[in-house]
Amino acid sequence: MTNLTRPMDPRSTLRALADEVPARVAAVSDLATLGTLEAELLGRQSEIGKLRKELGRLDPDERRELGAFINEIAAGIRDRIDGRRADLAAAEEAMRLRADRVDVTLPGRVPRRGTHHLVTSTLADIVDIFTSIGYTVATGPEIENDFYNFTALNIPKTHPARLESDTLYVDFEPFGEDRHDDDVEILLRTHTSPMQARYMEAHDPPVYIVVPGRVFRRDDLDPTHSPVFHQVEGLAVDDGITFGDLKGTLDYMAKQFFGPKQTVRFLPDYFPFTEPSAQMHVSCFACDFSGCRVCSHTGWIELAGCGMVHPAVFEAVGYDPEALTGFAFGVGADRFAMVRHGISDLRHFFESDLRVLRQFK
Amino acid sequence: MKTTLRWLNDFVDLPTSDPAEIGAVFESLGFEVEEMTTVTPSFSGVVVGRVTHIEPHPNADKVRVCTVDVGSEVAEIICGAWNFDVGAVVPVALPGAVLGGDFEIGRREIRGVVSNGMICSEQELEVGDDHAGIMVLNEDYPAAESHLGDDFATQLHLPDTIYDLAVTPNRPDCMSVVGLARELAAYYDIPLRHPEVALDAEEPPSRVDIRIEDPIGCPRFVGREVRNITVGPSPHWIRARLEAAGVRPINNVVDASNYVMMELGHPTHAFDLERLGDQIVVRRATDGEALVTLDGVERELVATDIVVADATQAVAIAGVMGGADTEVHDDSRHVFVEAAMWEPPSVLVTSKRLGLRSEASARFERGMDPNFCHVAADRVAELLVEFAGGTAAARLVDAYPEVVTRRQVPLALDEIPRLLGIEIDRAAAAQLLRRLDFDVKEAEPLLVTVPTRRHDVTRPADLVEEIARLHGFDGIPDRVAVGPGGGLTDAQRRERRLREVMVGAGYHEALTFSFIGESDLDALALPEDDPRREGIRVVNPLRDEEGVMRTTLLPGILKAAAHNIARNMEDVRLFEFGKVFLPAAASIPDQPDMLAFVAAGAQREPSREDAGWALTPRQYEVLDATGLVSLIAEELESPITLRRAVVEPFHPERCAAVGFEGETIGHVGELRPSVADAFGLSGRVAIGEVTAAPMLRAPDAWQFINPSQFPPVIFDLAFEVADETPNADVLEAITTGAGELAEEVWLFDVFRGSGLGEGRKSMAYRLTLRAPERTLTDAEIAPVRARIEAAVADAVGGTLRGGPT
Repeated sequence: MTNLTRPMDPRSTLRALADEVPARVAAVSDLATLGTLEAELLGRQSEIGKLRKELGRLDPDERRELGAFINEIAAGIRDRIDGRRADLAAAEEAMRLRADRVDVTLPGRVPRRGTHHLVTSTLADIVDIFTSIGYTVATGPEIENDFYNFTALNIPKTHPARLESDTLYVDFEPFGEDRHDDDVEILLRTHTSPMQARYMEAHDPPVYIVVPGRVFRRDDLDPTHSPVFHQVEGLAVDDGITFGDLKGTLDYMAKQFFGPKQTVRFLPDYFPFTEPSAQMHVSCFACDFSGCRVCSHTGWIELAGCGMVHPAVFEAVGYDPEALTGFAFGVGADRFAMVRHGISDLRHFFESDLRVLRQFK
Repeated sequence: MKTTLRWLNDFVDLPTSDPAEIGAVFESLGFEVEEMTTVTPSFSGVVVGRVTHIEPHPNADKVRVCTVDVGSEVAEIICGAWNFDVGAVVPVALPGAVLGGDFEIGRREIRGVVSNGMICSEQELEVGDDHAGIMVLNEDYPAAESHLGDDFATQLHLPDTIYDLAVTPNRPDCMSVVGLARELAAYYDIPLRHPEVALDAEEPPSRVDIRIEDPIGCPRFVGREVRNITVGPSPHWIRARLEAAGVRPINNVVDASNYVMMELGHPTHAFDLERLGDQIVVRRATDGEALVTLDGVERELVATDIVVADATQAVAIAGVMGGADTEVHDDSRHVFVEAAMWEPPSVLVTSKRLGLRSEASARFERGMDPNFCHVAADRVAELLVEFAGGTAAARLVDAYPEVVTRRQVPLALDEIPRLLGIEIDRAAAAQLLRRLDFDVKEAEPLLVTVPTRRHDVTRPADLVEEIARLHGFDGIPDRVAVGPGGGLTDAQRRERRLREVMVGAGYHEALTFSFIGESDLDALALPEDDPRREGIRVVNPLRDEEGVMRTTLLPGILKAAAHNIARNMEDVRLFEFGKVFLPAAASIPDQPDMLAFVAAGAQREPSREDAGWALTPRQYEVLDATGLVSLIAEELESPITLRRAVVEPFHPERCAAVGFEGETIGHVGELRPSVADAFGLSGRVAIGEVTAAPMLRAPDAWQFINPSQFPPVIFDLAFEVADETPNADVLEAITTGAGELAEEVWLFDVFRGSGLGEGRKSMAYRLTLRAPERTLTDAEIAPVRARIEAAVADAVGGTLRGGPT
């Protein structure tokens, strides 16, 4: 019966099927329908599935031959479907991602940093120049007594700098052993120089220190004066320190801070606690000596007071002025910052205006 | 100190007339040029002429027709001034001359007579204020007559350069033209014409006597009597020089004194001799003694003031101001010129106390030369003889109890290289010092005799400075002095780290003044007994609001925050690191470093709900403060604890005490709303202030922990606890209960309400347990959970909610 009812050669049926596949697969537009089609073409109930089930009934030669043919056709269909599946998956992913689209020029989520105050970073910059050449950083009290602020620095009781018109005094009754004289006065230090005396009293030479800190004068606040400002003191005391060391070291500082092209000059000046005394000027970087507002049309900007440590200061702290020499200098950090960044009004530093603070990079 | 180039040339013949070069020399010598002004006449073509004939104008009453000899020609000029006669030597603007920069003089017909130019007044030439008549030169410029036809500017010593020089306080000897000329002479190594006075004194001798009762306050007092003067204006050239020096001309007596002060440096004072007793006494004032000074103000004196007095009363405050009674006035006939040496500190203290600081007091407070007093007095007398018609009385009145001799300072030659780093040989060093008027004996050490005007030279180092100044700093080779190594201490490094953490957290560093006002402490609502009320007072504050040294940084940064909020800033986060000042039983106050911060307003963050986008503001509040201090603690490895606290100026329900090693080092939280109001802030304001020192102490070096290779057990536990139970307590109980297996425990949820009792809340924690070298088993976890449950029940009475998850 079977022989009689044997259908036509299945190869032609399969070929016909295979011919239809490209159009049918291409017509599918989503992955689910593609799955259904896949089952229809390759599943157990499909023509191919049925033929495979029947293979067992064929004699070995025919089975091998027909089996190979079915596999070949099935592989072609699978390739076609897999190709389509990849395309559809890519299209669907693209559609999903498109829904995620964001205007990337919208403001981002910025972890906002604050800023260091320009005076603080300037103090640090100056300090770093000196720590890099082997100096130690010392800091001291802002409320001082007149011994360290004046007397030890060769500024006698009658000196005009001590007058209440220039120096701020505070109401404080000192107590204890380390009073240096009977009518000691307590004041807001007028410079960072008291640390010269404090440090030398407490340490044996050699001394190579810088002292950053806040200082006070009885000045009204205006574009160039403030009752509160900031200095860095430097002190080098050793066997063989000369005025040449002072010049070379400050020249190094100026070039490190303001740039290697700057030149410096030293002119005689007067401070009670140095002898010889000098002021250091740096060449104006804004105008190259042609004269401008930054340098008050002189080509030079005054930046430091300095000199060789006065023998009276060594005597006050118990150092031997015949055995040791040293240099000292003081620079205004506020001024350094103003000069470097073109700030013409000192009051900006103390108003805490965010439009100002935010500029302090 | 102002001087002019031509005035300097009275004393030196400078090798250059280039004003800029002289300015540079002054600077190299230590006299900063504050201003350099070239004065040129505003006229040109004005010459010297002599009036040889005057006749009335035929058609005009108010003018005359003058014939003027201008050397090369004779010109007829119509003039409306009547203050001169034939023989007058006058400035003449000939046709073609230009006055005031742009007014050209031409030939002009005036009522039928041609005027060939113009005879000029001071005002027309812009060389003075006088416009009452034309300038008559015969007396003021006697040399002019022999220069008919010459440029009149030359007679006026124009053009000239005015230098305004900063003279350092150690060099009062250079507060004079001759002093500055001496410096230039030393620089150029040229001779100085020393000021000398040849006075024709006449008998009878002065009858004034001096007695110095206080030779410390007054080492020397010199006086010269000048008789029969006529008070009137000074010659034009004296007035012109005084004006160039910034001194207002008054009359020939005052001007002579001022002229000599500017020229020679030594201030003098002229008394009206007829109002002065014969016996002058120099003494200390008595407390409460009064004197009306010549500005008409009655001054109350104290016992430290030095006065010049006659037998009856004080007549001058030494070195500061003369008295009104003995002031020279328009009718004065005889004057007594005082030139004294006063003790500098006395003059300083008195002039400052009375608010009477002057050119004279500025010189006396720095120190004058006692051996120069007589020259100054006689130079004034000489000018009075010459320009006020007086005669100098014989006998210089001179009280000089102890003659000041020149100081001798030895200078070992090797002191020069020791201080300067350069070698200068003996002869060269001696020569440099001699140029500055020092006498030098070339021995070893050099023996240097210092002029008595040089109070600043007392030690070898002072002489080295003089040598360096003249030698020039540029000639000293540079060398960088390198230290033995140092760098920052741990605390200094950690201070930088602390600031960096604050900046990283979004805070901007502010620097505020170290003083606050009483009202700031009131605004903080600090109780009366709060130690921050015990601020150290400033004795002489510039303003009441700056009358107390700050005991807290908060007022400063709260005001800074308000400043920004008032300027429409939305997100204001500031911090300050700085000292506060507290009373202490010590030689100076306690001055700890503090860190304070404020966050006011709101932070905007982008949020993306649905398909939209919004910058959503989030107002700062207590958790910003507690979170920030936790961040600091983490970054600086400083273990801190937070505990509820009630402290002003904090919100009593939103304040934490910051604990460190068992001590409270500060507080963080929200500002009490009424305090915020007082500072002009609104809404919630997060603040904090902590003592920095504990956080700046470096911890021991941290030790590495190998990460476990075994899986953790992670589970959540929720406890029901009383509403007021702090998280810190629950967390501590859980951590204790979990023991060493606890790797991480964190709170992730707190809620109140449904399912919980009244006054209760639920707190849910996620725990991560892990063992370093094995996988934990369920059997191990169960007892841990039981211990945690027991610990929480024990510590805070909490009960575990629900079953294991």
